[in-house]
Amino acid sequence: MNKKLFYFIPYTLWLVLFVGAPIILMLLQSFMSIDGQATLANYQIFFGSGTYLRMMFNSVWYAFLITVITLVISFPTALFLNTLRHKDLWLLLIILPTWINLLLKTYAFIGILGHNGSINSFLQFMGFAPQQLLFSNASFLLVAAYIEIPFMILPIFNALAEIDNSLINASYDLGASKWQTLRHVILPLSADGIRAGIQAVFIPSLSLFMITRLIGGNRVITLGTAIEEHFLVTQNWGMGSTIGVVLIIAMIITMFVTRERKKGGNKY
Amino acid sequence: MNINKTRFWPTIYLIVVFILLYAPIFYLIFYSFNAGKYMHDFAGFSLRHYRQLFNDARMMEIVFNTFIVALLSSLIATIIGTLGAIGIYGTKNRVMRNVILSLNNVLMVSPDVIIGASFLIFFTMLGIGLGFGSVLMSHIAFSIPIVVLMVLPKLNEMNYSLLDAAQDLGANSWQVLTRVVLPYITSGIFAGFFMAFTYSLDDFAVTFFVTGNGFSTLSVEIYSRARQGVSLEINALSTLMFLISLILVVGYFMIDSYNSGRKAKKGKLSA
Amino acid sequence: MKQPIIEFKNVVKSYGETQVLKGVDLEIEAGKFYTLLGPSGSGKTTILRLVAGFSSATSGDILFEGKRINDVPANKRRVNTVFQNYALFPNMNVFENVAFGMNLKGTSKAKIKTKVTQLLAMVRLAGYENRNIDELSGGQQQRVAIARALANDPEILLLDEPLSALDYKLRKEMQYELRELQKNLGITFIFVTHDQEEALAMSDWIFVMNEGKILQNGTPVDIYDEPINRFVAEFIGESNIVNGVMLEDYLVSFAGSTFENVDAGMRPNEQVDVVLRPEDLDLTTPENGKLVVTIDAQLFRGDYYEISAHDDNGNEWRIQATNSAQINTRQGLTFDPEDIHIMRFNESEDDFDARLDNYEEVGEMDE
Repeated sequence: MNKKLFYFIPYTLWLVLFVGAPIILMLLQSFMSIDGQATLANYQIFFGSGTYLRMMFNSVWYAFLITVITLVISFPTALFLNTLRHKDLWLLLIILPTWINLLLKTYAFIGILGHNGSINSFLQFMGFAPQQLLFSNASFLLVAAYIEIPFMILPIFNALAEIDNSLINASYDLGASKWQTLRHVILPLSADGIRAGIQAVFIPSLSLFMITRLIGGNRVITLGTAIEEHFLVTQNWGMGSTIGVVLIIAMIITMFVTRERKKGGNKY
Repeated sequence: MNINKTRFWPTIYLIVVFILLYAPIFYLIFYSFNAGKYMHDFAGFSLRHYRQLFNDARMMEIVFNTFIVALLSSLIATIIGTLGAIGIYGTKNRVMRNVILSLNNVLMVSPDVIIGASFLIFFTMLGIGLGFGSVLMSHIAFSIPIVVLMVLPKLNEMNYSLLDAAQDLGANSWQVLTRVVLPYITSGIFAGFFMAFTYSLDDFAVTFFVTGNGFSTLSVEIYSRARQGVSLEINALSTLMFLISLILVVGYFMIDSYNSGRKAKKGKLSA
Repeated sequence: MKQPIIEFKNVVKSYGETQVLKGVDLEIEAGKFYTLLGPSGSGKTTILRLVAGFSSATSGDILFEGKRINDVPANKRRVNTVFQNYALFPNMNVFENVAFGMNLKGTSKAKIKTKVTQLLAMVRLAGYENRNIDELSGGQQQRVAIARALANDPEILLLDEPLSALDYKLRKEMQYELRELQKNLGITFIFVTHDQEEALAMSDWIFVMNEGKILQNGTPVDIYDEPINRFVAEFIGESNIVNGVMLEDYLVSFAGSTFENVDAGMRPNEQVDVVLRPEDLDLTTPENGKLVVTIDAQLFRGDYYEISAHDDNGNEWRIQATNSAQINTRQGLTFDPEDIHIMRFNESEDDFDARLDNYEEVGEMDE
């Protein structure tokens, strides 16, 4: 028995020190003013001023857009990938870009979208004037969606791969067309994968701050950007923590909405 | 059913997706060989940016730091995470087990910014100075749940009567661990180590919060340089990083397929 | 002759290099219970998938009521399938599963409700409408799968080893129910199985398959009594197969003696396989026996004894007897001329049928 506890000591220490403590500290910090006094002012400012609410709305809106874009691109990709012969190899090729440092991929877009970058050269070649592509909302959406796509494809692909092929045959057999099979059989059966994908994309998208700075040029302010700003620039940790707590609550809501739904009774 | 007709558009679609996924990466690599100074107007092939990179003492030190942090953090996280997974596996109380698993996943689902900011408060509160130590600890912290998630399924698929059999044959609990359990979950441990290693290499946000002025990792350095504008030295670096990623992926899958291949063989023998 | 509902004309199916169907011809008439019987890998499920439209033939024609349907997709064929693993949609309950096809067609809610109720009553699952699939036993899932397939009013119901996942008793029960169902509905059933007992019990007509070919087709009684070759004889029921020589019409020699039989139409002194079913053999005293054998072993099988013995020429004999026998005693073996069945080597089904027709006519004229 004691030996079992011994295995557990370092892991438990980690749970207490790095999972429990930081979150509690952040919660406490959110009730502190910039000079260390206990206060509710941070929350009053957050929910009282239009700036923060607008920022939160913005953040949720952009995360929503990013999620929708990635979902629209990823579902057909996952669906088609599943019909390929060496599908595991192709899936590996989808995952490979996620192994490349996020910063490097973002950096690539600075070159591609820049004033003299390839897209503008192409526009000029076609006879259009070069556009300001970098530091725009669209470029932020583009890069964020690019980064998140593999994380959406993966869970959907796995859910689709688990669907028994005879279910799809059964659907055709009973007279369903391709669309009807997709709608009535494939979509419902891959719902858990789609939910997992939404979770994997929406939550990080709420808190992006690096891409907003490098690509969005501070035009898009998200919850993530604001937290970074308060912690590392203005040093107002209390306000930063308050935004952090709001973000955590948003995260919990997202997870609740997209939780796995088990149909039927318990199987145990 | 009419395979030729129905396969055409999906194939086109997939090709476009793959091109979009890889275009930025190859764009970076392509311009790392540019003799010119910018990420446009290719002026001829040259390795000057690679030379420049290797002569950049600060960059080389940062690359070294990054790998040391990745290696140490993933090693330590693998040890703690594996022990933790064994502990969770041994926890028979369902409620307790679910509570631990949920806590385990907190850092997996938390946004990086929250992890970074809360760790910053934590280190400051404890009076731990920001630098190598705080970065290493943070990386260990966010890698442990990954290792647990890779090792636990292996443990769960292990037949519990294996442990009973080992004890029945006279093994003490240390021998059960080293002779039965660890060999069985080796592939999970390796997978966890690899994942932890790449997470550490890839991390930007957490490190950005808990690194002080004196210490930097690649991601943080690229961020600060990128804010000042394009430097093809970074392209050269990305090409090298891409190659390392490729080697890691190939290595990971060789281990993976070696393990499953061995399992298949064993399955055949026992059949 | 009646127009066959399904017809295969020299149908070949290959996956890459391997041919799983090697030029199959078959005809299926409406309203009968057909069984495709063969070991796994014989191509029987492939035929089913071709009829259903889940895969397409590499070459050859598949006709439905005389029209070529090779390119008609599965959802446009008036054929429905009961899958081996039932393939019930886990995201729908029993009602929704059965109503699936009708919902797609836009049948009215009231009609759907009546029809589902009626179908569930027919498969004895009345009142199960709102159950989830994972709450049903294997036998119940099986019935839902049948009801779902029948809801589309198919001309043909395809059943892909539907009983293989059920336990022995339930399987027996379902054999009766399926046969009953087919008779009541009057539609064509095509049933795939590797279980010869099942095939013999249920079918109007059996196709015996091996290695992508149909070896023999006929009524269960024909196939049991007149197997065309060693494979069919061994696959269907238990057989004693010994080497013999057909001396002349109606005279065969095997196991060191010469016997009268009822086969004809072969070359004089042709080498043949001789088949005797264990249940056609009777034990008697050595002096009354046509053959003399030594008893080796016996097993009690409940309704009979299964006795194994050998004759003086070294042939093994298996006998089903109502009374037990003494081990190591010598016993006589008797059988009637019509119990002897002769199989020529490499005789095709057409030649076999032609020969049978020929000498049966001759035999009738003699009488």
